[in-house]
Amino acid sequence: MPRLRARRAGADDDVDIDMVPIMNMFLVLIPFLLMSANFLHLKGINTSVPVQAESAAAAPAEVPARVTVVVQLEPGGIRLSALSDAVPGPDLEDLAARLPAAGDDGYPWDALRARLQAIKARYPRSDTMILIPHGGARYGTVVRAMDTARRVDEAPLFPNVVLSGKVG
Amino acid sequence: MALGRRKSRVRAAPPPRLHITAMMDMFTIIMIFLLVSFSDRPQTVELDRDLELPKSAARMDYADSINLVMTRDALKLEGEVVARWDGDRPVGLDPERLQESELYRRLKAYREQADRGGAQGEETKPFVLFFCDRRLRFDAVNQVIKTAGMAGYPNLQFAVLQE
Repeated sequence: MPRLRARRAGADDDVDIDMVPIMNMFLVLIPFLLMSANFLHLKGINTSVPVQAESAAAAPAEVPARVTVVVQLEPGGIRLSALSDAVPGPDLEDLAARLPAAGDDGYPWDALRARLQAIKARYPRSDTMILIPHGGARYGTVVRAMDTARRVDEAPLFPNVVLSGKVG
Repeated sequence: MALGRRKSRVRAAPPPRLHITAMMDMFTIIMIFLLVSFSDRPQTVELDRDLELPKSAARMDYADSINLVMTRDALKLEGEVVARWDGDRPVGLDPERLQESELYRRLKAYREQADRGGAQGEETKPFVLFFCDRRLRFDAVNQVIKTAGMAGYPNLQFAVLQE
């Protein structure tokens, strides 16, 4: 009985934890974190414009061939082709395709991704794509095309995207 | 008498206590939110209110470089307007004479300054960080990036919002 009484008396005691140091710590940490918070997650995509290069040295014959993929964004879809010094013409013609308009913004991104994956599987050393949007294409669409070409899942596809205006 | 009685009642009331628990809960939630959005590279770029950047799956951090901002009505290099748009028509960036534009002159000056600084071992800004509105037409964007290429900045970094 005395023990029970003592326990009851203990339960009634209001044990106060001293919160002041913790509050002080919060008040110091919160302004610091507010100053270094990043609410807008900005990222970067590297690209380049075509430049006149010095004459390229001939690639050694034993090195596996690589192709440069050319993707033209046209008003009615996407035209795909490939360039290479080391690949015969008929093989390059096999890679060419015309992908008709589809999707919410008029471009068949899934079909393009599948085509690019097939080219990458055939010529694994290839890493460059020339993107030629038509004049009326929106910048957001251009970035989406670059996104589609740069990687699929986690694997790089054509990470070097050269942006070019339409000639002629 | 009556007043005296009331006074004694007030004195008998327990002292008010601050509810720390609710405040601690709030602080904990704010702390967690801020810890998640913590960045060791705080945002230093000022974005225009009407600028809508495209969204992208890109994961590479942008680098501090020469800021070129293209909105629907103006083109700004390092915060200063170098060209404007009157509808779709550029003012101060003639597509036929890009090398006579203010943008070209300033970028060329940056390039020469960077080349001189690089030769003396100074840290230089290697490319143009391009903030562009996603609604703009590519032919307008192309004039700008072509000018940058001609001025010695063929490598650009497009600033995008993470998806």
